[in-house]
Amino acid sequence: MSEEADLIARSGGGDLDAYDRLVELYQDRVYQVAYRITGNREDAWDAAQETFLNAFRSLPRFRGASAFSTWVHRIATNAALDLIRRRPPQPPVSLEDVAVSAGDDPAETATRSELQQRLHRAVTSLPADQRVVVVLRDVQGLSYEEITAVLRIPPGTVRSRLSRGRESLRRQLADLAPAAGV
Amino acid sequence: MKMGHVTELLSAYLDEQVGSGERARITTHLEACESCRAHLESLRKTVALLHTTEPVRAPEGFRARLRERIDAQPRRAPRTFGLPRLPWSWRTAAAALAVVMVGLFTVNLLRAQFPRVALQRARGPEVSVSTPPPPFPGPPAASVDRAARAPEVGAPAPYTPGEPALRRVIRTASVMLEVGDLDQTASRLTRIAEAAGGFIADSSFAQAGSTPEGTFVLRVPAPRFADVLAQVEELGHVQQRRISGQDVTEEYVDLQARIRNLERYEQRLLAFADRAAKVSDLLAIEQELARVRGEIEMLTGRARYLDRQVDLASIQVSAHEQAKASGGFWDFSGTLTKVQMAFLATIRQLLRAAETVVVAVSALVPVVVLAGLAWFVVRRVRVARGI
Repeated sequence: MSEEADLIARSGGGDLDAYDRLVELYQDRVYQVAYRITGNREDAWDAAQETFLNAFRSLPRFRGASAFSTWVHRIATNAALDLIRRRPPQPPVSLEDVAVSAGDDPAETATRSELQQRLHRAVTSLPADQRVVVVLRDVQGLSYEEITAVLRIPPGTVRSRLSRGRESLRRQLADLAPAAGV
Repeated sequence: MKMGHVTELLSAYLDEQVGSGERARITTHLEACESCRAHLESLRKTVALLHTTEPVRAPEGFRARLRERIDAQPRRAPRTFGLPRLPWSWRTAAAALAVVMVGLFTVNLLRAQFPRVALQRARGPEVSVSTPPPPFPGPPAASVDRAARAPEVGAPAPYTPGEPALRRVIRTASVMLEVGDLDQTASRLTRIAEAAGGFIADSSFAQAGSTPEGTFVLRVPAPRFADVLAQVEELGHVQQRRISGQDVTEEYVDLQARIRNLERYEQRLLAFADRAAKVSDLLAIEQELARVRGEIEMLTGRARYLDRQVDLASIQVSAHEQAKASGGFWDFSGTLTKVQMAFLATIRQLLRAAETVVVAVSALVPVVVLAGLAWFVVRRVRVARGI
C-alpha cells in the first residue's frame, strides 16, 4: 500500500520508472477488463494502452479521493466502452482470440479452451451496460461499492444490471451449468 | 404459491447485497417455492462458472510500447507553451480572480443601468414643473417671501398683541403627485381645502410636452394640516413629499417686545407734543411720531403675517397626469430610445472594463518584467550547472 502510494506520488511528479512499475502492477487487471468488454485482443490492447496513457496524463490531478484501483478501473472501462461505441458491430469472436494457457495435456486444454470460448462469447453477447457490470463483478471480483464508484451509477442500478446480465448468461449457459456444477 | 417470485432479487441475494427485510422475504419464499430454489441454484452455478474464466494477461511488450508512447509525448507538450506548467493552486487562483472580475463587472453594469432609469422617472416631472411660466415658487422659504411682500393676500387673521409666548411653528408641505385626470384633481383639491376650512391660495396649469401639469397651494388651518395632507395624497401616486416645520417663536416674541417698546416711546412722544412750546419742536416731534408709527405698523404687519402662517399651514401640490407615452397599452414609441440607451450603456461598460484591464495590466508590467528576468537568470544558472 505504502509502496503503491509512493509509486503514485512519484509517477504524478513525472517519474517514468515509477510509472513503469505501477503499470506492471495493474496492466493485467486493466487488460482483462478491456479484453472482456471489447471482446478481442486488438481492441483490448488499444484500450489498455489508452488507459495507461490517459492515467499518466491525469495522475497529477489524482487526489486519492477514491482508491487508485477504482480510478484505473474507471479509466479502463471508459476507454473500452469508447472503443466499442466507435467501432461497428463485430462478427463473433474468432478462435485465435480465446485465451489458451500453456496446458500440458492437449485434450484437457482443448476442452478447457472450448469452455473458455463459450464463456467469453456469452459475456461479449451481453448489452454493453450489463456486460461492464458482469465483468467488473464476476470476472474482476470488484465489490458493489467499488463498481458504484467506478461507473458512478447508483447501487440500485448496479444491482439490477448485474441481475439482468447474470440471468441472460444463465439462460445461455444452461447446458454447461450442470456439467460444471459445484 | 406462484405469487411474489423473487427471481430478480436472487442475484443480489447471492452476493448478500439485500437488506434484512428483503432477505427475510426471500428466505421465506425460497422455502416455499421450488422453482425459485432451482433458479437460485442455477444462477449460483452460472456465477461459479463465470469465476472460472481464466485470467487474461497483458501481452508481451505491452509496457515497453507504453513507455515508448509516453516518452514520445511529454517532450512535445511543455515545449509548445514554452512556459512552466502552472500548478493547480495557481490555476485556481486565476479562476477565482476571473470570477471576481466578472462579478464586479456585472454588478457595475447593473448598477449603472438601473438606478439611472429610476432617477429619470423621478426627476422628469420635477424639472418640467419649474420650466413653465413662473407658477408658484416651490420651496416654502420663497412662498414666505412672496407673502411678506403682499401681506394683504389671504384672509386677515385678528392680531392681538401681548399673547402668551406659545410655540409658533409654520408648517409647510410640498407633495408631487401623479394623477389620472388633472381637472378632476383640481376640483377635488378645492373641495378638500374648503371642507377643512381653508382655501386654494394659488393655482396654475401648464402643458409641458404631452403631460399637463398643475401647481396648487392650499392653505388650511394648522390643526387640520395632517388630515388634509393625507387626503391630498390619496388623490394620486405620491412621487415626492417634503414636510417642514419652521419654528418662529423666537422671532415672534422679539417682534412683540419691539412693538411694546415702540408703543411706549410713541406715548411719550405724544406727551411731549402736548407740551411743546415751539412750532419747530412740534414739527420735529411729529416727524419722529410718524417714523415710529410706521415702524410699529411694519412690525405689526410682520407679526400678523407670522400669525397667519402659523394658523394656516400651506400645502403645495404639484400634480401631473400620468405620462401619456407610457400610459397607452400599445404605445411603444419609447422602446427604441430605451434599446438604444441600454445598448450604449453596455458598450460604454465594456469599454470601461477594457480600460480597467489595460490599466491593471500596465500596472503589472514592471513586476512581470522583474519576474521574467529572475526566471531567466535562474534558468541560466541551472543550465550552467547542468541541472
